[in-house]
Amino acid sequence: MSAPAIAVTQVRKRYVDGNRRLDAVAEVDLEIPEGALWVLCGPSGSGKTTLLGLMGAMVAPTSGTVEIHGQDVTHLRDHHRTQVRRERLGFVFQDLQLISGMSVLENVLLPCVPSGGASAEDAARARELLVRFGLKGEIEARAERLSGGQRQRAAIARALVLQPKILLLDEPTAHLDTANALEVVSLLFELRDEGTTVVCATHDPRLSDDERVDRVVSMCDGAVVSDPEPQA
Amino acid sequence: MRRQLALIHFALGGLQRRASKSVALVLGLTLVVGLFGSTLLLTDALRREYELLADRMPDLTVQRLVAGRPSLIPEATALMIDDIPTVRDVEARVWGYYFFTAIESNVTILGTERDGESLDVAVEDGRLPRAGNEVAIGNGLADLLGLRVGDEMGIPLGTEVVFSEVVGVFGDDSSIRSADLIVARPAHARVLLGMAEGWATDLAIDLTTQDEAAVVAEHIAERMEGARVLDRRLLRRTYELTFDTRGGLMALLLVPALAAFLLLAWERLSGLGDAEQREIGVLKAVGWATSDVLLARIWESVVIATLGAVSGLGLAYVYVFFLGAPGLSDALLGWSNLRPAMQLAPAIDPLQAFSLLGAVIVPFVAVSVVPAWRAAMIDPDRAMRGGR
Repeated sequence: MSAPAIAVTQVRKRYVDGNRRLDAVAEVDLEIPEGALWVLCGPSGSGKTTLLGLMGAMVAPTSGTVEIHGQDVTHLRDHHRTQVRRERLGFVFQDLQLISGMSVLENVLLPCVPSGGASAEDAARARELLVRFGLKGEIEARAERLSGGQRQRAAIARALVLQPKILLLDEPTAHLDTANALEVVSLLFELRDEGTTVVCATHDPRLSDDERVDRVVSMCDGAVVSDPEPQA
Repeated sequence: MRRQLALIHFALGGLQRRASKSVALVLGLTLVVGLFGSTLLLTDALRREYELLADRMPDLTVQRLVAGRPSLIPEATALMIDDIPTVRDVEARVWGYYFFTAIESNVTILGTERDGESLDVAVEDGRLPRAGNEVAIGNGLADLLGLRVGDEMGIPLGTEVVFSEVVGVFGDDSSIRSADLIVARPAHARVLLGMAEGWATDLAIDLTTQDEAAVVAEHIAERMEGARVLDRRLLRRTYELTFDTRGGLMALLLVPALAAFLLLAWERLSGLGDAEQREIGVLKAVGWATSDVLLARIWESVVIATLGAVSGLGLAYVYVFFLGAPGLSDALLGWSNLRPAMQLAPAIDPLQAFSLLGAVIVPFVAVSVVPAWRAAMIDPDRAMRGGR
């Protein structure tokens, strides 16, 4: 049996502010299989984004372990965690989408810079993704000129440019109108169907209530409060 | 190498995205380097001019002191000196200063029978005086008085005006020597200087070897009462010390300016705005290592520092060699500021230029490293929440 795409075991993330301790994530256990689309839902402050950050090797847990494809990334040094992020994960933030002042294509190719800039192959793949995501006419446009939905799609294209196996998204449909939100949702299912593991943190029912979602995990105050077994 | 080029390309884009901050830093650096560079270039140019001047001085110059002040010297004194061993030639020189009230400037009047080559000043237009009231004048003086070859120059002496015919104008290959110069035959120079026949301003002595200068000076002092003997090598050393000291003092005064700028740069580079924090968060989230972010930020500083330093040096060059360093030249030249204003020969010592660039670029990049490192160390999770 192959290792799950992401395995989170007894993970806790505690923030200390003076005498105050806050467990943003408290003893969470999850195993996300490869090629699944999971949704983490819950109200603001429930710990969804922090858990996503832990899964994305962007935040080190206070205790517990996080494994990506069977590799424990909990205690990796910064540059090794960076390597894991670069090679295996694509991340789409809620607000941190694109860098203003750069073109859409330049934004999508950002992950290629540290390895010496985009190769012709990378550039071709980036263009292909942008065309696929309906941004053909905006490839050379400045990022700040895109609409919310277009930015979100461009951010997903950027997360996919290095062909990661796992895509993590924080509120991918926030601030989008219904048409744009549905487009993004369809795109995520397409990616799932192609074999990418997709994990979304959201409180948008347009995504969490979609019957195509493999599993919905509800969180509150940092803990998992509802984790129903996947439907057959 | 490819990685560095890609990071440099990204850094250039970053500078463009933060144009106002980048421009402010470049302008600040330009100003600081301009100030330092001006002092350096002016000091260097003056030293070079004086070295040229010193190289053309006689090995020894003999003056006669009366009541502690230089006075005229009888021409016959030359005969008391020319038999001292190693003395090759003794020339009684006729020269002095004349204050032109019309232009509020001192000019130097030199009486000589030498030709242009031995006088070592280049006549740009016309020729040297051959007889009578003919004179050749410096280009600075010619410009100030609006004179050209063939014109008559009237010099008021008491209640009279003595006229001279301008037959030549000197070039500006070494303006410090010739800008304020009037060369005439000795007899006419004596008239202009109010000096009687048989008297000279000083004696110029050439030696077969400069190494014997001190011994010859002792002999002269023994034979001539009130003699003051000036050694060319000592004069040259004095010039060097004077300009090194003045230049050094000026540079020292500018150190606080550099320190203040570096502090300001630190402040500016440390204060990351929300947009910058988010940008770093994005970069780290998409797979940039801390070292990648750090390098990109350092490249930004290197580009800013290089642009500021090079434009500052360019500014200094224009200020010194094209504008004549107004203000600064007064501070460096002090009382000896020659008028009419001399035109310094444009030149730049590559070693000094690199030293200056290094002295500014290295500290600037150094002060940018810590803020860059702090910025690069931001946890992507923290950055994506806007640093909260």
